[in-house]
Amino acid sequence: MSAIDELASELARLPGIGRKTAMRLTYHLLKQPAAQCLRLADALVGLTERVRQCEVCYNLTEAPRCPICSDPRRDVTTICAVEEAADIGAIERAAEFRGVYHVLGGRISPLDGVGPGDLTIAALVSRVQRGAVTEVILATNPSMEGEATAIHLQRQLVPTGVRITRIARGLPVGGDLEYADSVTIAQALSARREMA
Amino acid sequence: MNSSVIAEAVRDGAPVVKSVRVQALTLTSFRNYERASLTFRTEGAALLGDNGHGKTNLLEAIYYLELFRSARGARDRDLVRFGDAGFHVVAELDGSPRGALRIAAGYDAATQKKKVSVDNVEVTRLSDAIGAVPAVLFSPADVALVRGAPAERRRFLDVMLALADRGYLLALQRYRQALAQRNAALRALNGHARDAESLDAVAAFEPALADAGAIMLTKRHAWAADAAPAYADTLDAIGERTSVSLSLKRSAAGKVDDSEMAAWLRTTFAAQRAHDVRRGTTHTGPHRDEVQLLLDGRDLRSFGSNGQQRSAAIALRMLEARTLHSALGTAPLLLLDDPFAELDADRSARILGLLGSRGLGQVVLAVPRIEDIPRALTGLQTVRVHQGTLRPDA
Ligand SMILES: [Zn+2]
Repeated sequence: MSAIDELASELARLPGIGRKTAMRLTYHLLKQPAAQCLRLADALVGLTERVRQCEVCYNLTEAPRCPICSDPRRDVTTICAVEEAADIGAIERAAEFRGVYHVLGGRISPLDGVGPGDLTIAALVSRVQRGAVTEVILATNPSMEGEATAIHLQRQLVPTGVRITRIARGLPVGGDLEYADSVTIAQALSARREMA
Repeated sequence: MNSSVIAEAVRDGAPVVKSVRVQALTLTSFRNYERASLTFRTEGAALLGDNGHGKTNLLEAIYYLELFRSARGARDRDLVRFGDAGFHVVAELDGSPRGALRIAAGYDAATQKKKVSVDNVEVTRLSDAIGAVPAVLFSPADVALVRGAPAERRRFLDVMLALADRGYLLALQRYRQALAQRNAALRALNGHARDAESLDAVAAFEPALADAGAIMLTKRHAWAADAAPAYADTLDAIGERTSVSLSLKRSAAGKVDDSEMAAWLRTTFAAQRAHDVRRGTTHTGPHRDEVQLLLDGRDLRSFGSNGQQRSAAIALRMLEARTLHSALGTAPLLLLDDPFAELDADRSARILGLLGSRGLGQVVLAVPRIEDIPRALTGLQTVRVHQGTLRPDA
């Protein structure tokens, strides 16, 4: 296989990139100065060599512990369990949560061959069992699989006696009721609250 | 309303009732149609032509805009005209319960992609477009509803209730997704659970299955309470002298509301878990419940005569039309694919009279010859269907 074909077929494996786009990207890179291509190659090497999972929360990090777990100002009594490391970024941008995280590494989806044993659930339970933790917030996605994962987590955590909460679901702020889908509206209605 | 009144109303071209109407239809590369367009009158049309020239295909195309699936169970790629790249069907509408004015569906064979748009906006989820053109198709193949396996009647029930009630459609979709996940978890166990933990993935989808299933069962039972007497009355009015009864083989007898039903389903799924592991599939729940048709207490499927089964099937379609009409507040489009071919003139007149008893909506009838048009529908504009072309009579 030629070098061009080799790169194009690697690029085509990426999500959202088809065969055509992969070829276009490959020819684009060929037109760039060699130094630029080498920087991309270095970045890729760095990604694989330096990035690993946080030994506490499974967030992505370059140190044994991620910046959140190493931050003494974070409240370690509250753990927010998320599906993927990328979800942490989304929650952090909201700057509302001061606790720590636990990355599950996916969600239960037997159709995709993912069972509870493939997630970091045992590690979460033992984190809670070690004491100090008072609340676990289940922040898996509001999809059916995210919901099933939350239900399973709840069952695993109940024996520890920790407080278990689930993030609320509903209408997006700034969204128009007219354009929300029916499932979201139904969930927002069933989770309605009294006006104080 | 008797049949002669309908005939007059149809002849006068007066809209008898609030109804959904197709004003114009264009087919491209659909079945045997290369490209064909037809403008419909308010009351509908009678398609005339020899079998094999495209009458049923045209009805199939209209029905496709209701569910975005072939009424005959054909795959999308088999609907593409031989040698063409894909098909496209578009209809201009009036009186759609969803307020849609134009609905289009296209399929590209190379990418196997289906595109549906409502008022020129592509929908991201098919369920958002389903039901914009409520239609009921009567066809000689309907006898499979009575003679066929329980799955046929279950599908009939699910499709009808999903069209009549969006809550049912959403519950059905969630139920199917949860069922697929639970069954995948069961299959992964290969017939035996190594330990209690290996059942966790199975159990994790049971709450979703129970909640969606409970909504389905509650709505099904509410429908059956109203439909069972209506069904018996319909068959009686058609002229069936024996008594045929419709009932749901209830998997949750005595449960009155969603939450009671959901609690019951959760308990049932949990209790059946070990058994389900051995079978490798979920063997109880709304997806296994039956619509039972009994002839004097015996299964109509095996004990009914040909004629009884045919009438029972037509009465099911009439029940479908009645259910959609009352749920949507508008008369559904009636697509009649030569359904009265094996019935006598009196019986077909009575059926049309019953269909029109709450006001007849638009009717698209397909029959081989002009003399096959039932008297009540002789006012319909006739359209000649010949080798994939459409020619309205003046
Ligand atoms: Zn960490």
